[in-house]
Amino acid sequence: MGLPLKIEGLVVPGGRGRVLLSVPELSLPAGALVGVEGPSGAGKSTLLYALAGLLDVAGSIRWGEVDLASLRAEGRARFRADSIGMIFQDYLLFEELGAVDNAALSALFRGRGERAGVRARARDRLDRLGLGGTAGRRVASFSGGERQRVAIARAMAAEAPVLLADEPTASLDRAAADRLVDDLVALARETGTTLIAVSHDARLIARMDRVLTITDGAVTGDREATA
Amino acid sequence: MSAAWDMVPVLWQDILTTVALLLPALVVGGFVLRGFAPWPLVRAILWRFRGASALFVLLIAISVGMGIGLLAQERGLRRGTAQAADKFDLIVSAPGSELTVMLAAVFLQPSDMPLLDGATYDEIAGHPDVEIAAPLAFGDSFGAASVIGTTAEFARYLGDGRIEGRMWETTEEAIVGALVPLEIGGEFSPAHGHGDAADHDAHDAAHLDVVGRLAPTGTPWDRAILVPVEAVWEVHGLADGHAPERAGQIGPPFDAAYFPGTPAIVVHASELWSNYALRSQFQRDRETMAFFPGAVLAQLYRVLGDVRQIMSLMALVTQVLVAAAVLLGLFILSRLFQRQLALLRALGAPARFVFAVVWSFGATLLLAGAAGGVLVGAGAAEVLSRVVTARTDILVSAPLGWSEVQFLAGFVSVTLLLSLLPAAVVLRQPVVTALRS
Ligand SMILES: Nc1ncnc2c1ncn2[C@@H]1O[C@H](COP(=O)(O)OP(=O)(O)OP(=O)(O)O)[C@@H](O)[C@H]1O
Ligand SMILES: [Mg+2]
Repeated sequence: MGLPLKIEGLVVPGGRGRVLLSVPELSLPAGALVGVEGPSGAGKSTLLYALAGLLDVAGSIRWGEVDLASLRAEGRARFRADSIGMIFQDYLLFEELGAVDNAALSALFRGRGERAGVRARARDRLDRLGLGGTAGRRVASFSGGERQRVAIARAMAAEAPVLLADEPTASLDRAAADRLVDDLVALARETGTTLIAVSHDARLIARMDRVLTITDGAVTGDREATA
Repeated sequence: MSAAWDMVPVLWQDILTTVALLLPALVVGGFVLRGFAPWPLVRAILWRFRGASALFVLLIAISVGMGIGLLAQERGLRRGTAQAADKFDLIVSAPGSELTVMLAAVFLQPSDMPLLDGATYDEIAGHPDVEIAAPLAFGDSFGAASVIGTTAEFARYLGDGRIEGRMWETTEEAIVGALVPLEIGGEFSPAHGHGDAADHDAHDAAHLDVVGRLAPTGTPWDRAILVPVEAVWEVHGLADGHAPERAGQIGPPFDAAYFPGTPAIVVHASELWSNYALRSQFQRDRETMAFFPGAVLAQLYRVLGDVRQIMSLMALVTQVLVAAAVLLGLFILSRLFQRQLALLRALGAPARFVFAVVWSFGATLLLAGAAGGVLVGAGAAEVLSRVVTARTDILVSAPLGWSEVQFLAGFVSVTLLLSLLPAAVVLRQPVVTALRS
């Protein structure tokens, strides 16, 4: 099951007194699919990095019971390992490794007892995303759509209750993007994962439950999606 | 503490020292890697940068190999020279430089030396503790071979009695060292002097037959032709060491009045312990000088020992510098996979894991380089040994020994600790900055 999010007084400083992002208050229920849109440079990626605990921020970012903002960097890393999956526009795979090795990357730094479970779930996610037959192949030979699926499998191999995606379809052509959105949404719903997806892609945004608009470092719109 | 250490068998001392030298690397490696399995990533990164990695390993292997090859060679040379002096227990000569006399007698690099007379020879040869007292007569050559006059007794002693053919019986006969290009049954005329300066016609009247060949000794004497000392004296128109009534006799005793002189007498005592007494007895100001070539060499090594230590240190510093350059290269390379390292952090990897990946990458290159260095070192030492042996006829063999292993262990420890630095620097890059780039 996903985690609910509750933000209070979040401020992401940008150096020299600048504020990159300010969110006085925001609540999302567990398992929500949330789209984030807005002009370039508005602070969408910044919001995702803050929600992942990758930035030092003021205020509180409460995922379920845990206030990420109050943890130190290593505590936030531990939380990420267990609770947050991330997907990026350009996949960020290790080209030299196979699909399963990429998807199960986090097994390398987990305790011995967890490794087998992570690998099994990585295989399972790859199967679920239609990559079962290519699991051993090096990802260097994969298409963009296939790579992004491996990245999704990687983000979900730890059964993280939260999935953060930054422009997941931006590097894909229309057809591949549509198929990916179908799979991503289906998988998130199936597992009850809380999904927050930053995107310029209207078709992705249309599949979400709720859509936030960010302009100039502030949430300027918050609406139910119109699917 | 040091007394307790001296009680430990030498092998164990070597093993313990090696382990102690490796310990910092092992401890650091243990701490960095504990609980992680970074190898698939390290392999992936090595493969991605295989060209640069191979080059780094090669650079380290060559610099390490040169270092340990040279150290092994230096030790081999010491052993070889010590072994060459083995048969020369005690040398008596006219007062002068011990080094000069040793170079002449042991290493056959003669220079002009004052002569000892027959009375002195008689006194030494007649001493009850002296088993062999051999005069040496230098100065002639045949091709590249020195022709040396001495006694049959000493020739036998030199070859440990292993002579193919037979010992000479007249002044027209000679035996050759193992490497002299003359067959048993062959004949030659000695030239006066050596090399280009040799006067080939001076002794044309003299013809000697080769009747025997000494077994290899691994010393410059392998390239020498040994003849009765009487033959050398005769060829030079001197008395042959024997009174007219004993003309034709070969070998001692000599008659002092007819003894033309010898630059050096090699003495072999009947008992090892009497050597010291003999030395003090024949060590006389303005008359004779007596010394142990082994001691002169040891003295030389002591002087060179400091040089060796400086050399080891310099080799180590050079190699650490090469390794540091490699680590710098590695650090620059790591910028090329900084986004992937940041990704690991985004996936929740602890900082120590990212650190472990970068450090293991460097450690793999260093260890592979060190292992390659062993091969290069063994090869370099072997080649150097052959060159030195070919040039000096001193049999030098330079297998890698414990000091090289320890040198290597020190190198591995220092550089593995050093590679903590680039790993730490990589870690300081902010994750989000790397992800955005
Ligand atoms: N490390 C930083 N220091 C200061 N400013 C930064 C830093 N990183 C990003 N910014 C600025 O923060 C603002 C928000 O950037 P962000 O990447 O969140 O925008 P975005 O909405 O994701 O834009 P895009 O749609 O182009 O991805 C931008 O003005 C950017 O220049
Ligand atoms: Mg962005």
